[in-house]
Formats: sequence, C-alpha cells, structure tokens
Amino acid sequence: MTAHRKIPTPAALKVLAAEYKIKVESRIQTGDKAPSGKIKHHVLVCTGGGCIASGALDVKAAMEQEIKRLGLASQVKVFATGCLGPCAVGPVVVVYPEGTFYENLTPKSAVRIAREHLKKGKIVEEFVHKKEPSKTPVPAMKDIEFLNKQTKIVLRNCGIIDPLSIEEYIGRDGYLALAKVLTAMKPDEVIEIIKKSGLRGRGGAGFPTWMKWSLTRKAAGDEKYMLCNADEGDPGAFMDRSVLEGDPHSVIEAMVIGAYAVGASKGFVYCRAEYPLAVERLNKAIESARESGFLGTAILGADFNFDLEIRMGAGAFVCGEETALMTSIEGQRGEPRPRPPFPANKGLWGKPSVLNNVETYASIPAIINRGADWFASFGTEKSKGTKVFALAGAVTMTGLVEVPVGTPLGEIIYDIGGGIPNGKKFKAAQIGGPSGGCIPRQHLNVPVDYESLSELGAIMGSGGLIVMDEDTCMVDVARYFLDFVQDESCGKCVPCRVGTKRMLEILDRICEGHGEMEDIDRLISLGHQIRDTALCGLGQTAANPVLSTIRHFRHEYEAHIRQKHCEAGICPGLVRAPCQSACPAHVDVPGFVSLVGEKRYSEALKLHRERNPFASVCARVCFHTCEDKCRRASLDDAVSIRGIKRYMVDQELKPLIPAVRDNKENARRKVAIIGAGPAGLSCAYFLARLGYQPKVFEAEPRPGGMLVQTIPAYRLPRELLAREIRMIERMGVEIKTGKKLGRDFTLESLKMLGYDAVFVAVGAPDGVRVEMPGSDARGVVESIAFLREYNLRGSVKVGKKVIVVGGGNAAIDAARTALRLGAGVTVVYRRTEAEMPAYAEEIEQASQEGVILQTLTAPEEIIVKNGAVAGMRCRRMKLGEFDRSGRRRPEGSGEELVLDADQVILAIGQTLDAQKVIGDLPVELIGKSQIMAEALTGKTSVPWLFAGGDAAVGPSSVVEAVASGERAAVGMDAYLTGESHAFWRREAVVETGFDPDADPRMDPRGALVLLPAERRTNNFDEVEQSWSETEAVRQARRCLRCDYRAKEESESVPCQK
Amino acid sequence: MAESNRLCDCQKQVDEVKCLKRLDAVIKDYREKPGALIPVLQIAQGLFGYLPEVALKRISLGLDKSYSEVAGVVGFYSFFSTVPRGRNLVRVCLGTACYVRGGKQVLEAIKKHLGIDVGQTTPDKLFSLEVARCFGACGLAPAITVNDDVHQRVKSAKVHEIINSYRKVSRVKAATHKRAKS
Repeated sequence: MTAHRKIPTPAALKVLAAEYKIKVESRIQTGDKAPSGKIKHHVLVCTGGGCIASGALDVKAAMEQEIKRLGLASQVKVFATGCLGPCAVGPVVVVYPEGTFYENLTPKSAVRIAREHLKKGKIVEEFVHKKEPSKTPVPAMKDIEFLNKQTKIVLRNCGIIDPLSIEEYIGRDGYLALAKVLTAMKPDEVIEIIKKSGLRGRGGAGFPTWMKWSLTRKAAGDEKYMLCNADEGDPGAFMDRSVLEGDPHSVIEAMVIGAYAVGASKGFVYCRAEYPLAVERLNKAIESARESGFLGTAILGADFNFDLEIRMGAGAFVCGEETALMTSIEGQRGEPRPRPPFPANKGLWGKPSVLNNVETYASIPAIINRGADWFASFGTEKSKGTKVFALAGAVTMTGLVEVPVGTPLGEIIYDIGGGIPNGKKFKAAQIGGPSGGCIPRQHLNVPVDYESLSELGAIMGSGGLIVMDEDTCMVDVARYFLDFVQDESCGKCVPCRVGTKRMLEILDRICEGHGEMEDIDRLISLGHQIRDTALCGLGQTAANPVLSTIRHFRHEYEAHIRQKHCEAGICPGLVRAPCQSACPAHVDVPGFVSLVGEKRYSEALKLHRERNPFASVCARVCFHTCEDKCRRASLDDAVSIRGIKRYMVDQELKPLIPAVRDNKENARRKVAIIGAGPAGLSCAYFLARLGYQPKVFEAEPRPGGMLVQTIPAYRLPRELLAREIRMIERMGVEIKTGKKLGRDFTLESLKMLGYDAVFVAVGAPDGVRVEMPGSDARGVVESIAFLREYNLRGSVKVGKKVIVVGGGNAAIDAARTALRLGAGVTVVYRRTEAEMPAYAEEIEQASQEGVILQTLTAPEEIIVKNGAVAGMRCRRMKLGEFDRSGRRRPEGSGEELVLDADQVILAIGQTLDAQKVIGDLPVELIGKSQIMAEALTGKTSVPWLFAGGDAAVGPSSVVEAVASGERAAVGMDAYLTGESHAFWRREAVVETGFDPDADPRMDPRGALVLLPAERRTNNFDEVEQSWSETEAVRQARRCLRCDYRAKEESESVPCQK
Repeated sequence: MAESNRLCDCQKQVDEVKCLKRLDAVIKDYREKPGALIPVLQIAQGLFGYLPEVALKRISLGLDKSYSEVAGVVGFYSFFSTVPRGRNLVRVCLGTACYVRGGKQVLEAIKKHLGIDVGQTTPDKLFSLEVARCFGACGLAPAITVNDDVHQRVKSAKVHEIINSYRKVSRVKAATHKRAKS
C-alpha cells in the first residue's frame, strides 16, 4: 500500500473531500444521473465476512480476469466493498449504472455476467435476486425489499466504499466531522450535540452515550482512555464485525472525536480473536489514518494528540463486560471488578475511561455532520436513531438489517427478512443473545426499542435477532444459553459460578425426561437470586433466557416434565425419532417404513396398528405431522411417509386382529363409549386389547363419526373405513347405531344400568352459525350439515353457483363435494391462501378441479331475492398488523365485490353444546363447547366419566382423536384396575437391515399419484392413487433411520405417551 | 491472525531453539508496554502452534511475572492451548444461529466421523476438534471452520465430504514433503 501524505489542515481536508466525493458518488449513480465517460460500468463486489466465506474473492478474481480477456479493462472498474447485508444470498455483486443486484454467484456465473452484462449490456436474469417464495426476479437493487426498507446510518458506507481506502472514506464526508469538531467546537459542545441526538449505547444496556463522556470529562486526572468494545460476544450478532470490516475509519474517527471531547490521548480497540479479517482491516485503517494525520500528534494541525492500538481478545465471553474488558487489556485474567468505582472515574489502569461499542461509535460522525435533530428524527420518543440487527436463524433473508429504533418486530422478520422459509410457522425471536429473552408470536407487533423489549423480558442487547420456527424446542434453547453462560462464567462470584451450574443441571434433567414439576419454580427462584446477587452483567442477566422461555412457553416445560414429550422433536432423551415424536398417536414411523423397505408389509401394518388401528384411514386423511419433522428435509425433502403408508395398507386383504390379552375380569366390567368416531372407536380398540368388551353408542345410522359423515368418499373410500371398523368389532366391541345421547339415554341412565366407566367422544358435530344480513335466507346451509346429509343420505340439494365461506378442511370438502354434484364453486376466505387452515394438498387439488379461490375477501352480506340467496357482497381485504396468532390481521380495504350465487355454504367452524351432553352431571367444562379432561388420561371431574377427541380439545385432526382414544383407554383401565397395562406402549426393536455408515440414498421424494383433474370432477372416485412396489420400496429406503441406536446406547426413557 | 502466520509447522521437527530466539525478541519488544502479557502469549502460540511449558517459563522470566500469573492467564482464555493440535483444526460453531439451524447435529456427525471428542486430536495427528462460539457467519448457519476456511450451511449428512477433502490435501502435502526431503 502506498503511504499517505499527511493532511495538514481542515481546509486541505475539505479540498480533498470534494475531489474524492465525485469519484465515490459517481460510481453508485443510476439512470440519468450516471456520469457519461470512459467508464461504462462500476462493479461492486461485497467482501464482507459472509460473502468471503461463500467465495466472493474467487468470484471477483474470475470476473476481473474475464473483463481483461474481453478487453473491457478500461471501461469497467471492479471494487471490493464491505458488507452489503444480505449474507444469505452471498456472494453478491452490484453492477452500476443499472444498479443490478446479482446473488449466489460462482466464478462461472461471474464470467457470464462479464460476457453478457458488461460486454453486451444485457442483464443476466438467471443470477439476479429472486423474491421468495414466488421466485420472481427482482433485478434492481432499489426494488429488493430486504434492502429498500432499511435506513442506513451506521452502515452508511458499508457496501459502497472500499474499506481499505481512506480516500474513499473521505469522499463520503469522512473525517469532516472531526475537522468540524477540532475547528469549531469546544469539548462540551460536542458532548451537548451527542446529548441532543439521544444516542444510547448500542452494546446492550442502552446507557446514554453523552453521560459516559460527560462523567469521564469531569473526572479528575490528566491521563484518560478512549476504549472501543469490539468483543462482539453475543453468539448471533455480527454487526460490529461488519462495521470494522466494511467501514473501519468511521470507528477511528468517532474515537478521535470522543477523545477530544473527554480529554483522552490514548485509545484501545478490544477486538475478538474470532474476527481476524476485522483486525486486519482495522489495523490497516489505523495505519493510514496515522499517515494522514488523523491519529498521532497535532491532529489536522490542531493542538490535540491521540493514538490508537488494537488489543485482541483470546476467547472469553466475559471480556465483553466493561470492567472485565479493561482487566484483559491490562494483561490479566478477564475477570470483572465490582462497580463503583465506575470506569468513568477508575477504568483502565485506574484512569478515567470511556468504553463504547463499535456501532455506537459508527453513528457519531454522522451525528456531528448532519446534526442532532436529524438523528433524533429517527426512532421513538425515548430511543433515537437506528439500530442494526443481525437477522439469523429460521428466516428467508439472513444478514444485517438497519432500521429506525422502534420498528415493529414483525416488520423486520416478514417485510425485510421475507418471513419463515420452508412453510414453517414462526415460534419466537430471541433478542439480545445469552443476556436476552425471547419474543413469542403473539407479540410480533412489539416496537423494537429498549423499553418495550424489557417489558417483555427481553433486551435490545447488541442486536442479535435469532428467528426460531416450530422446529425449535424452547427448553433446549434455554439450556443452550445457560450452558453457554455457565461455560463462560469467569468463576469469580458464587451466584454466577454455582447458581448457573445448578440451573443447568435442572434443565439437563428436564431435557432428558427426568424433570419434576417443582423444577420450574426452582429455576425461577434461582434465576431471581442470581440476577440480584451476581457481580457483573454476565451473571445478572444469565438467567434471562430461562426466565423468559418459562414466561412465554411454560407449556413446553410442562410437556417435557409430565408427558415426556418434546413438541419440536429436539431433545434426544425424549425423542426416539422426530417423526414418531411428532405423531400424536406415537406410531413407530421408522419401524414400519423400514419394514416396507424390505417388503414385509404385514409386519409393517401390525407395527402401525400397535398404536393406531386406523392405518388405512390415516394413509388417506392424515395430515402427516410426521413429515413436517422429518430430518431428511434438511438434506433434500422429507420422506413421503403417507405415500409409503398408502402402499403398505393397499397390500392388505383383510385386517388381522392384533395381539389381545384375554381377561375374564375385564370382560365382565361394563364400559360404555359414546360416539363411534375415531376417538371412540380407538378407545374401544385398545380396551378390547386388554380384554374389555366395551359397548359403543352412535347417534347416526352408520359408525365412523366425521370419517363417514363429513370426509368425502373421494378422499376416503367407504369400504376401507368399514373394514377397519369391522376389525374392531371382531375384537369383541359392540357398536349400537341410532342411539343418541340425550334422546335415547343419558349419562346418568348408563350409570344406573351398571356401567363402571363411560367415555364421551361425541366430537364437535355442530357447525358454527354466523349472523350476517341474509344468513336466514333460503339456500344458506352450514357445511357440516351439508356434508353429513350427502354422505349419510346419499343426496343433498346443491345450487348452480355455490359460494363456500371459510378456509378450513370442511370448507374445501364442501366445495369439492358441491363441484362433483355439478355446481360452480367459489371459496371466499378473508386471509391469504397460505393462512388457510385446510391441508395444502386439498387446496391444490380443489383448484385443479376448478374451485375458484377468492382469498383476502370477507363476506359482508348475503344478497336475498324473494327470500332466497341471490349473491354475496364481499369486501376486499389487505393484510395489516400481526394478531395474537402471529398471522397478519386482514383489514378492510375500500373495494367491494359482488358475487352471484344461489347457495351459500358456511364453513366457519365446528362446535359442541357441551351442557347438553353432560345434562345434570357436575362435570367441569371449558367454556361452553369443551369438556375438561386430563390430557394424559381423559379423566373428567367425575371419576367414572372420561372424555376425549374433539369433545375435549375442540375441533382437531383424526390422528389426534385416535391418540386421545388410546390415552382414555389407558386411563380407564387404570381407573378400573388400579394400574396401567398398556403393553403396546413398550418400544419394540424392529429388526431391519441398516448400515449406519453408508451414505444416504439420493433418490428424490416421490410425488403422490393423482387421478387427472378431468377424470374426477363428476364422480366420487378416490383421487389419490397408490405407487408401484418399486417406487414404494425406493421411497421407504430414503429414511435416514433417526431411530437407529448402536446396541449399547439403546436404553431410553419408558414412553409415557 | 496468529494461526495463519505460524512459522513452525508442528508436524515438522520443531526447531525449538529458533522459536525461542524469536520469542526472546518479541519479549524484548513488548517488555516496556503495559498489558503486554496477552499479546506476547498470542504471538508465542503463533510461533509454536501451542504454548509449551518452556515458552511460558521464558515469558514469565522475560516479562518479570510469576509463572502462576502467566499460567493463570493461559488457563483463563479458551484460545490458548498448552497441548499441540493436529495439522487441521476443525471448529464447529455453536453460536445461537448455528445451534438453532442444526449445529449440534453437525458436531455429532463430525465427532462420529473423526472418532474423537471435542478438545481431542485424532491419533494420526491430522485433525483436532473444537467448539466455537460464533464466527459472525450467522447468516450462513450452520458453519464450521477448518483452519482458515469457513464452510457454510453444512449438512450433517455431508460432513465426511468436507473432512475428507482436507485429509486428501494433507496426504498430498505429506507425500511431497517426504519426496522433497529424500
């Protein structure tokens, strides 16, 4: 690098600045403003740490070589810049004057850009940014939402200038703030400007910056220090790294300004050893600043001296704490010191010291240049300016994001970050790293500022923002952070050293399945004690992640402790395989899949029916939560478990009766089950396996509940259902149809007849009525009633133009049934398709068949002519703020829409009149529509009465009902005999071949086979078809066998589910 | 970074005398500087590849600090190592972003593949395994580094490919080294 000439005076600097400004600014001008000259293109290559890791340097080299080869060297200039922000899609390159943003580049694609764009002026669409999930190309940088929704103050130069060039920094008004301070301002005036700007420390605690400066200025002593905290320890934050790598001079300039304000002559930057590139670039920047006369003696000709040195950390998180950082610079173990005395009075080597964070410093030159009022115009009343967030985790666009303080969390995650990838649901965002807390989805609207976050138990911290989706276990996250701080605790004070250890032990045992309910309170009380008594910030905040996850996700802790269940499928002690853990019925998925892989179909089926009798039904109607958790998805796509199951059940000629334990005593006990739906019949099935002979009462003429009444035959052929019900009957279960609770008998009358225990599984059979103008007109029906009438009676009145209102499975079932009966069908739903509760496959199949979806449309009024439906007036909606379910609330826009119709089917929801079910029995209810029952046993507040399925938990899925029936069977057996005999819950080892060291087979996930749409719209033939044997076996062998354990470690916690 | 400009390859016969001589020069440079101990240790680790006792003793004498103080500082910071490392240092990031994106599974897979635990070195001295807390590559999680190369979005089912690529390079290097010697 050439040596820089010393700049003697502020006036000389201004001349240079004007000269360099033209150079730097001209390269980022677009359109008409672009200068016309010899240079046709400027190419900016991001060389932030992320892009370098992705191969940016190779991309740059390849492009430069190709430019030379094409003879364009005099027309195209290539620059290396600091971090542009969107690390997820790196390496990235911006080509001016078009302002075209290229992403995910390789040396090969760089060559193509040189040939087509730089040579021929043709934008290479293949490599421009693609908007997720539609994949629409967005060539212009200014149209990319991740970038254009940001406000860049701290990162103002990152991605624009060459970080190693002091000239380019000067060309962006660099060191002009310093010149202004040195020529026109007294130290107190500098502090006053910072005070007026409202700048607060960006390192975490948000302490007003001016106050630190003012206290240090007033402190006695001639020797003072200006320190910079670049020990960005929060695992998940990388904005300091990007500033140091992308714009190191902004930090140097601010430190000189600060030194002038407080009267310091020496400064240190304490940087983590994990950031070698940042250290390297900062070192070079310091060197050139010194040569140019911005550091050293008589800076810019003024009577002011200051110099700067870098000290590298050596891998200790606690050194981010201010007093520990100073002890570390002093060359000792980085242990914190008690405060007071505060560093402003006694800091480094006992001298008054200011310690600010990188990001805080980087704002300061901009504040001086553009004024305190300008800076204060961003942000909220109490928190001014902007904050950089390191957006990472389960979010589409990861990277650095700078927004005004107080921007709602949801906007950062969804509008800028592009939401959650892979169709997963948002669960929580962790803000502030190991000292911070989590924000759950019901608070997505929270403005991200110091005060609002601390109200929710989180902190702004350094700005690490980790997005977590449904696959994250919050107990595991808490344990992770505690493990981190426990590991990093310096050991000086007892609360932190011993307290965090005890908390970690408790969390460990909860995650391993040995927790007790009292543990939750123990964690809370220990956490509070550590917070109140630890010596430094590390200890005082160590318990925050635990306290905040308990506050917002207590149910997950309880599920780990009581049900030994980890909802996310993460905790190894509780999860044999994530698919099995995600199945409510706990079917041994890897077991039956691997048996299918060896063509051992009847063994596979037997294994399935150990936990779920309705193999054939579930192969068709289950929405396969198992596949959502399949680990294979992280490699390519989830194993098609339902497709494999479908092939397996199709190989069965007649269902075999599973293992039954004859028991004369149990056979004598009288057990009644009300409702022959999936919950009731599963309960009967499992009771029968224990030797009971329960009697099932069904109100309708045919057993099956919702399976037969509402699920259409094109999804579930009736003969298959009947076969599985006959299997249950053959096990000694008696089903009495046409017997309705409340009409033919009551709960008390059953008791009088000598029944020892009764299971209520009557479902949620009533459609929810909505009142809107015209809803009592002729032609308005409710979806459940509509489906029931068609499925049980074989015919139903259908209009020519039908509108279905709703977005759940009942809505889609009703729509597709009406379509098959000859109607033109429109589904009206007030949110977007992505938010429809119906299964995605169903929605897609409905569209293929010709059902029209009118999403973001809310019904306002049913238009009535002569007492009959004539149409519907709707309002177009747009998405507004986030509601408590974490979904955007639809808001009315001005636009109206009128649809013609002669029938309206309302599919708003299902419910149960629970009071009518229990009659005069003193059974506790939840609201008016659910019977309160213990989740693990189905026990109600009346000892002999059990409840399950939709009647207990509200409308849910078939497999949930099956699971609930099984749990009630175990609960009733325990009630009747005093102990549990659920032999099917014991985990059996399936002997199938598996080589743990072999590479996974790379066959892609197979698609379901469907009847062509034109062959299914006028009949009720089954839409989904089975695979060939070759395909089924190939698909089964894609399984990664997460259940596999080497023989010695196969010991596991007994299953409680 | 100290690691990358290490002067003595620990696989070679370490020329201890030469390294100690250089260390003496470093100590002389830093002697008068306040807070010199940590930078000197960092440079020493760069020279030797780790911190052997003989170097620590030299530093203790040279900077006029008790050996216990020097050892105390070395023990405190995770970057300092008093045992030699393998030729390739594999560091698995378990920062928050990497953790929630599957860093733990990646670590398990590497452990299984190398047959060593965290903090250990393979018997052939080719690989050492460590856990790191965030390289600031959160946008590319889960990340691991092998020496100075960052590998991003690592899939646990594919770690063997990464590791084996270094195995090959190391073998080639060792072979050329042998040939050059003979």
